[in-house]
Amino acid sequence: MPSLFEIQRGMSAATIFGDRTALSALGIVTDTMSASERIDIYRNNVLGHYRKALAATFPVVRRLVGAAFFDAAVDAFVRVHPSTRGDVNRYGGELPRFLASYGPARALPYLPDVARLEWAIDQAGIDADAPPFNLAALAALREDAHAMLRFVLHPSVRLVQSRYPILHIWQVNQPAFEGAADVDLGEGGDSLLVARGALGVAVERLGPGEAALLRAFAANVPLGKAASRAVAAEPPFDLPAALRRHVANQVLVGFDAPQPSAGECPR
Amino acid sequence: MAFLRALPAVAGIGLRAPHVARVRDSRPPIGWVEVHSENYFVDGGPALTALEAIRADYPVSLHGVGLSLGSADPLDGEHLARLKRLAARIEPSAVSEHLCWSHVDGRHLNDLMPLPLTDEALALICDRVDAVQSALGRALLVENVSSYLRFADDAIAEWDFVAAVARKTGCKLLFDINNVYVNAVNHGFDPQAYLAAIPAEQVAEIHLAGFEARGPCLIDTHGSRVAPPVWALYRDAIDRFGPKPTLIEWDTDIPALEILLDEASKAQTILTEHRDALAV
Repeated sequence: MPSLFEIQRGMSAATIFGDRTALSALGIVTDTMSASERIDIYRNNVLGHYRKALAATFPVVRRLVGAAFFDAAVDAFVRVHPSTRGDVNRYGGELPRFLASYGPARALPYLPDVARLEWAIDQAGIDADAPPFNLAALAALREDAHAMLRFVLHPSVRLVQSRYPILHIWQVNQPAFEGAADVDLGEGGDSLLVARGALGVAVERLGPGEAALLRAFAANVPLGKAASRAVAAEPPFDLPAALRRHVANQVLVGFDAPQPSAGECPR
Repeated sequence: MAFLRALPAVAGIGLRAPHVARVRDSRPPIGWVEVHSENYFVDGGPALTALEAIRADYPVSLHGVGLSLGSADPLDGEHLARLKRLAARIEPSAVSEHLCWSHVDGRHLNDLMPLPLTDEALALICDRVDAVQSALGRALLVENVSSYLRFADDAIAEWDFVAAVARKTGCKLLFDINNVYVNAVNHGFDPQAYLAAIPAEQVAEIHLAGFEARGPCLIDTHGSRVAPPVWALYRDAIDRFGPKPTLIEWDTDIPALEILLDEASKAQTILTEHRDALAV
């Protein structure tokens, strides 16, 4: 008599991988249907569930490749990157990388980046909330501490870069889009900010200066150095305007200020 | 801690994403709502805020689909911790899970897989129910599941298995009438024998849903109206158990809210008729 563990391992192999080698040892009753037919019901349910869950996360990818292609890609993805949690809210983050090495998708070089954008949009909707920016604390800071400030991004902020015009591709593939759906792949790459604000998740195209600035903040680089990078990327860069805008949009939600060093006496 | 309202013995609906905004904003007359716990295993954002708003107006039941009580793998402590945090935030009237398994070797199937009905599985699932009840500090409701296969080594009738879990752990039962009917057809037993074995006082909630016939098997799709034989079995169940909180579940091809409310009103009629019959 197989143990509970053996039964579960055998059913998992048969369901996800279609590997039926262990099936006959499980003692599945085969009165009106064969063990294989019975397992197929679970196989359809399980794979169908992942197809549906990932279709909800990656609707544009699905639209770009078609439903049959998408379903086949998901079935292959599930075998390589199994779900490891009892909820599927964070399942699918590996799909962009998977698509980059998925042979049948090779003809669409922009597909992994579109998937990256959709993943960012999906995840930004369920990331943590943040309290409002404490402007009074910022105003109270001594000016000579500004260069060493480290701004904190909203937990939902994701920066997505691509050499392809992925925002344009994403826009023309929205269900409500009307107009010319042609995208010239040569029209240039995108540097995108995805973040959840008061009105929900929004995607915005960033100029080189702002992209450099927010990337630096995301890497915990202090303001002085981050500002230099922004100016180098897009001179002349209007730092105060950029900071004001991103605080107002809840992209920046706080800051860490360095403590005055021990030898320094407050005057 | 706020007073925890018990689920009222009236009809409620399973609340899914397409109807959340409307229920939150227009507050239709529904006795209570049930959501899938895992849909709210999120760190923040509008879904959680909406559920908190709905919780202010309706008793809420948290129905889990992913804890995998019956896995030979250890219980997922992180999953349980998330459930505990959600329950602390929502203060639900009920917390439920399934008598099934979903993961093995760390790989999740995210589906309700059937257990062999053996002493080994019974002992394991009772340990798990005990562990979850002590972690949550409240009674868990456990639900009987639909199944499409049985094992030759099954040593316990399904109804005895379900009743034994309740007896040994003191947990409550979420009795799914559709699952009883589906299994009765799929495995060839008398659903009345099932009803007769269930301790009425342990039943804390009832589920009703639609199935789909595929070949010789009924599949528990939650994608249609409740079928006539399931309504008949529901009447029998209410006669036997007394009025119980009753939920209409619909998870695939989710229809307009009006259809769900119409199904709920049919259940409510049966509950009310039962009460009126007693009053005569």
